[in-house]
Amino acid sequence: MQLPASQVAVLEAVNADEATAVDALAAATELPPETVTGAVFELEDEGLVAVSERTDETIDLTDEGRAYADEALPELRLYEAALEAGAGDEPVQMGQVIGRSGLEGPQVDIALSNYARKGYGAIDSGEITADPDADPDADPEANALEILADTGETAPDAVEVGDETVEGLESRGLLERSESILREVTLTERGVTELMAGLETAETVGQVTPELLTSGEWDDVEFAEYNVEADAERFEGGNVHILRQTAERVKDVLVGMGFQEMEGPHVDADFWINDCLFMPQDHPARTHWDRFALAEPTHIDELPADLIADVERAHREGVGPDGEGYHSPWDADFARALALRGHTTSLSTRYLSGEQIGEIEPPARYFSVEKVYRNDTLDPTHLLEFFQIEGWVMAEDLSVRDLMGTFEEFYAQFGITDIEFKPHYNPYTEPSFELFGTHPTTGELVEIGNSGIFREEMLEPLGVDCDVMAWGLALERLLMLMYGFEDIRDIHGTLCDLELLRNTEVTY
Amino acid sequence: MPTVEIDPDELRDLSGHEEKDDDELKDDLFGLGLEFEGRTEAGAFELEFAPDRLDRLSVEGVARSLRYQYGDARGVHVPGTNSPEWTIRVDDSVPEERPYVTGAVIRDVNLDEEGLESLIQLQEKLHATMGRKRAKGAIGIHDLTMLKGAAVTDTESNPTIEYVGVEPDEDRFVPLDSDAELTPAEVLEEHQTGRTYADLVSEYERYPAIYDDLGLFSFPPVINGRRTEVSTDSRDLFVEMTGTDQWTIDKMLTIVCYALAARGATIEDVVVEYADHELHRPDLSTKTKTVAHDRIETILGIGLDPEEVIDLAERSGLDAERSENKDGDLVYEVTIPPYRVDVLHPLDVIDDLGRAYGFNDLEPKYPDVGTVGGRHERSRLERSVREQLVGLGFEDLLNFHMISEEANYERVDVSPDAAVYGAGKPATIKGPYSEDFTMLRTWVTPSLLMVLERNTHRAYPQDLAEIGFTAAVDDGENTGIAERRRVGAVLASHEAGYEDAKARLQALCRRFDVDLETPPTDHPTYISGRTASVVIDGEDVGVIGELHPRVLVEHDLEVPVAGFEFDLAALQ
Repeated sequence: MQLPASQVAVLEAVNADEATAVDALAAATELPPETVTGAVFELEDEGLVAVSERTDETIDLTDEGRAYADEALPELRLYEAALEAGAGDEPVQMGQVIGRSGLEGPQVDIALSNYARKGYGAIDSGEITADPDADPDADPEANALEILADTGETAPDAVEVGDETVEGLESRGLLERSESILREVTLTERGVTELMAGLETAETVGQVTPELLTSGEWDDVEFAEYNVEADAERFEGGNVHILRQTAERVKDVLVGMGFQEMEGPHVDADFWINDCLFMPQDHPARTHWDRFALAEPTHIDELPADLIADVERAHREGVGPDGEGYHSPWDADFARALALRGHTTSLSTRYLSGEQIGEIEPPARYFSVEKVYRNDTLDPTHLLEFFQIEGWVMAEDLSVRDLMGTFEEFYAQFGITDIEFKPHYNPYTEPSFELFGTHPTTGELVEIGNSGIFREEMLEPLGVDCDVMAWGLALERLLMLMYGFEDIRDIHGTLCDLELLRNTEVTY
Repeated sequence: MPTVEIDPDELRDLSGHEEKDDDELKDDLFGLGLEFEGRTEAGAFELEFAPDRLDRLSVEGVARSLRYQYGDARGVHVPGTNSPEWTIRVDDSVPEERPYVTGAVIRDVNLDEEGLESLIQLQEKLHATMGRKRAKGAIGIHDLTMLKGAAVTDTESNPTIEYVGVEPDEDRFVPLDSDAELTPAEVLEEHQTGRTYADLVSEYERYPAIYDDLGLFSFPPVINGRRTEVSTDSRDLFVEMTGTDQWTIDKMLTIVCYALAARGATIEDVVVEYADHELHRPDLSTKTKTVAHDRIETILGIGLDPEEVIDLAERSGLDAERSENKDGDLVYEVTIPPYRVDVLHPLDVIDDLGRAYGFNDLEPKYPDVGTVGGRHERSRLERSVREQLVGLGFEDLLNFHMISEEANYERVDVSPDAAVYGAGKPATIKGPYSEDFTMLRTWVTPSLLMVLERNTHRAYPQDLAEIGFTAAVDDGENTGIAERRRVGAVLASHEAGYEDAKARLQALCRRFDVDLETPPTDHPTYISGRTASVVIDGEDVGVIGELHPRVLVEHDLEVPVAGFEFDLAALQ
């Protein structure tokens, strides 16, 4: 049989006919008592040993008791001094005797209170007498102290000290009793058999190895214990960027709501970014410095000629019998200028026109979660590049109620409820709404998006003859609302802090 | 968005609701879409507004809108005008770049300090919005009593002022805020306002100028003369506007006339005499839009009685009359007042009706339209590759698409025209915001190195990856730019090496079932002899190697870095 080393040692130290205490086993095996105890239980489980338990009482002197064992009990010292002072014959002044005895402090009281009780004499009116027949050598307490000082801690019945004396010394605080559980071990018959058959020692191991597993040795080894509470070495592993996680979640929600994803160029002609949106060419947003125009290359090669003509007509003359255009200049070359898209509505115009994937028949829902570029002031809440969530629904007879309902469903997925709609103005939508939502934790009302129903001046040139409602919002705004980030630059871009990214809670 | 300053006391006075306290006023203004942003030092409200209702650029217009909102006013109101006395004659010499002029005479105006301030603010706000910073339209307001009509050659004729073009140094006048007589050219150089607006006219051969019998009194669109300066003592005003579009300046004039009429002034027509035609201004004519009842109901998503529609229109300051179109459907002939510059289409009328109804009183509903959702292929591919990269232990990153030439090329020892992966002619930004963002990055590795550079105090290993947008000039593309997604990865730690990078790239390629070969190559960013091309399914699509110590030191890195980058499409 193979057993761990500690169990082998214990088994060899136990006896079949005589119970051995664990302490004795520890002494015999030179193992720590707790290891022996552990091994004993393992062996008992195996049926190799029997364990009996009993509660043992021991007595031992206290420090005070040991001191009196050295220098005699105070009452005996008083008796000796009294005899020397002649108190055996006639009463002597107490002060004289105490002075002679050398007793001090609390020892005086102890001596006086035990002197008469134990028959060494009498104390009366400040005078002390001594019984010359008293025998200090026969004092049971003094004798017990002497014995116990020699034996040290011991079982009460192992020494010749009377029970009354033990109780007396205990009440004087000169002796302590204590109880301990004593386990005694005997070898069982099976233990004897196995011992006769011979034992092999199994070693403790740190690592589970292939050899251990294939050989079956794992059944016999003992695994070294770890400190399982200690912190492990830090491990990063891979993780998806928190803004990507949020974008993925938005995509999941929109796909679930029946939206198809759009894609298209980041650098695009102003035609797709602005002109198709019925933005007049002299609109402040188009000449404003917040637009990222390209220095190289400068213009798109080709735009659909029919569409250019239709868009120009809408700008100049408007659409429909009562329509009016803008009193603004319109120039095809201006429309061909390239810029980094300021919104992903450029994708919507490409898709709606049929340019990107051909004609789209209603009903249809489309979305994108893609980057847009604004030449704005860089600060904790504004980046030059950010993600816009663009979405539109194309169907017959859409109403502003449909728009509101779509928003409520979408934002509810992110815990943002109580959406409010503020009538707004955009050149390309009518009616238009800014959206406000209630922050789930702060309760603050925050702007979360811009939306509306695309104008006919926008849709008619694109060849769309039903309604399209649309919206856009910043993904970062949603992220900041959900996580309470204060500086978006810690997250997005080359100034990012890896520690922050590593410690950000995942979203789902 | 633009802001306008409104004195709440004036607003109470002009709207006729003295009892409204400031908070009530703020709520009422929010209902109009005017958001309270704060107060000026003088205690006026600063209100932010969307730039469609330009008739609300001053307290008079805001008060008018409030009166409609309160139900104190209904329908269209057009102030009456008196017959013209004055004529503006447009001379042939007028610069062809700025051929249009319009004007009006305002009588018996009672301008106190607030009134004058409000008029100046209106003028400035109109310049900033419709006037496109005075380029499209510029306003000049003058004290009429200081003007003298030109010598009347024909007794039938009105007193006349002239809109002409002058040589830059042809004549002199004393501009506002000056004591010196200056020529128009001198104004552009020496006068503060002149310098501000010099760009508008400096290319002109002849400068715009307005004369009366006494001489030059206005140099539009730059500055007026001091002689005709308006003060609180002015009783009669002459308003002129010049610009590049007649409609625009006429609408600006209409808004000014409505504001002054609200203060009790009388408007008097002016004749504008062009070489081939004559206009009577201001043009306070209304226009009509035919709005279908059915369209109102579908856009608002509710059923309405015709009486309700007419009521909503009148509460919006419009007039609506029931009618039928040729198919016999119910329509409304809606009259639009002349100060409304934002109504281009019947849809704009429906928006007004919705606002009067209260959009927030509408019950949201989810559209009963069935469609099937889905993601496009590249988006799905990108997600799968990202999942694999994360599984391989990479931290996914998100960097800017804009970068500097220095970071994209110089700091990684690549020149734009080098025949190595990651090089390429840059798509550059015109007038960049900052020298850190001057072009679109041509590859991802420089961004990852910048993140390593910024995070040297953070725990290693730093195994970073990004599936990122890149762009470079490509004449074969319609936009002249090839936009590509690339997979970039770096491994930074004390033990990082080629082997680790290759192991992970191999794993990635295996999962996408593509063949990977890595023939040796040279690339200035990487250590020679430890660099290979990434060849996937026989195509050279990237690079893998240990980053050159020169590049590491340049980025203040004190650990070895290995990495790879290749085209995302190669895994497709």
